[in-house]
Amino acid sequence: MAVSIEAAQADEQAAADWSFRAVSVTKVYGGTLRANDAITLSVRPGEVYGLLGPNGAGKTTLVKQVIGLLKPTSGQIRLGPFDLVADPDAARQLCSYLPQAPMPIDSFRVREAIELTGRIRGGDRGAVRRRAGELIEALDIGEWENTMGQRLSGGIKRLVGFSMVTVWPGRVVILDEPTNDVDPLRRRLLWEQIRLLAQRGCAVFLVTHNVMEAEKSVDRLAVISAGRLIAEGTPSSLKAEDRGHLRLQVMLVPEAATPPLPPWVGQPVRVGHNLITTIDEADAAHGISWATDLIGAGVAEEYALGATTLEDVYIRLTGHTSADEG
Amino acid sequence: MTACAGPLPPVTVRRGVAYWAGSYRALTRWHLASLRMWLMLLTVVQIMTGAGFVLGFALFFDHIPASAALFVSTGVPVINLVVVGLIMGPQLVAQQKLQQSYDFVRSLPVPQTSAAAAWYTVCLLAGLPAVVVSLLIAEARYGISFAVSPAIVPAVLLVAFTGTIIGYGLGHAVPNPMVTTLVTELLIFAAFGFTPILYPSWQLPGWLATLNWWFPFGHMAVIVRAGLTSGMATGIASSYLIVAAWGVIGVALSAWALGRRA
Repeated sequence: MAVSIEAAQADEQAAADWSFRAVSVTKVYGGTLRANDAITLSVRPGEVYGLLGPNGAGKTTLVKQVIGLLKPTSGQIRLGPFDLVADPDAARQLCSYLPQAPMPIDSFRVREAIELTGRIRGGDRGAVRRRAGELIEALDIGEWENTMGQRLSGGIKRLVGFSMVTVWPGRVVILDEPTNDVDPLRRRLLWEQIRLLAQRGCAVFLVTHNVMEAEKSVDRLAVISAGRLIAEGTPSSLKAEDRGHLRLQVMLVPEAATPPLPPWVGQPVRVGHNLITTIDEADAAHGISWATDLIGAGVAEEYALGATTLEDVYIRLTGHTSADEG
Repeated sequence: MTACAGPLPPVTVRRGVAYWAGSYRALTRWHLASLRMWLMLLTVVQIMTGAGFVLGFALFFDHIPASAALFVSTGVPVINLVVVGLIMGPQLVAQQKLQQSYDFVRSLPVPQTSAAAAWYTVCLLAGLPAVVVSLLIAEARYGISFAVSPAIVPAVLLVAFTGTIIGYGLGHAVPNPMVTTLVTELLIFAAFGFTPILYPSWQLPGWLATLNWWFPFGHMAVIVRAGLTSGMATGIASSYLIVAAWGVIGVALSAWALGRRA
């Protein structure tokens, strides 16, 4: 019986259009600072959607408008039949938000924090308890079930925060750097849960600097820079423009100045003593001999030549690497 | 993959009384849990503050006049009732802003009025034990027998409400946590030093007494005193009105601060 009701609900939900739509969202502070500038994007239920961009690009401003903490200067934000700008109460109920900052759970026991948030989010007692138990098991944090928040390591605290936010999720789940400090094994468990949320019909926003991780885990992504959406698509469609190119990374001797670049090298980015650039596949041999000469001249220590990644697209679009964002 | 599908995402938005009441219950539990490590300590400090005022004032005199003892003893409950909501409330919000957990707390799906009501309940609970103990100490030390009337109930509820809601509005309205700390320190200094809570307003210079007439603290003492003594307090109706008016100002400030989304 329960199964058939659930199946019917699932059919009903599939029939309704629960897409998230932001249309030309603009947020201006103090009359001049355009923190968001005409951002338009849509996310379907079931999608994991990456929001990438350097610090100060306007990602958090966009998120705060989605969850009803800020009001756009102009533009629309809609979720299914709801206007989230006009109805911030609906926005809070329909969106779950995991901020990048630590959760305020120092004096809560782990299970208590998860269950209480589930109750606040509107779940009934029994169902919330079951679901909290499932999440604790799935994320392998049972060992700390009755531990106070202040005794948890950063990574475990992060997983508890994720569980709090998703124990009774909204239709939109916004996760800001969810894997920060999480160990590699549990990071994999976390990604499974994120994917399951999407399969269950949530639209998942992943706000991150971690381009490598995003490349593996998102269905589509947007790159935001200086308040504007400058690129959107699947990871492979965004990489299409870099097809036929290779990434050449030269590790310079510390303190060395950037050497003069040959004309066939793309726009370089320097992070610390790493010089990252792209070259045409046809120039691979030139690239190797140029890098080897730099090593021979004592300017560089080593180099790496490989396939371009989403990181290179990100560098091309924003002029930053994801690592230089603090 | 672990079988942990969870609930289907919601298709409706909750509204109405059940939503309000459920949020109120859950948030009250949230506050009590988040304060659990120092709620006990807070109560003890409150009791010591109350006892300190009640007993300390006697040290100004060789023999404290009965009227002075009664004034102090009936003023102390006001301090016990407003200190948590008016002083600690904004400081807790400031702390959330400093630790950047403010956005998460604000993103929780609860009606604003039920969130405020839950916080009011917690502040009231944190103040009441100290009120009772302070009065018992006053009885023991000065041999006062209070003429407690039912009027004490609305007086206590209103005093705690006005103190709490002004603090609530301040905490949310002031963006900078450092400024919040300064404002609350100024409030302690002004409200407990230069308002007629523990002494009669005719002891103040005329201009300060007039100024105080427009502020709620002296009036809070009047309505509490009216519920603890017979015939001592005057102008009770206007005092209720002024304390209630400040409550309305607190509500308006909170509504503006939480609704502005700027």
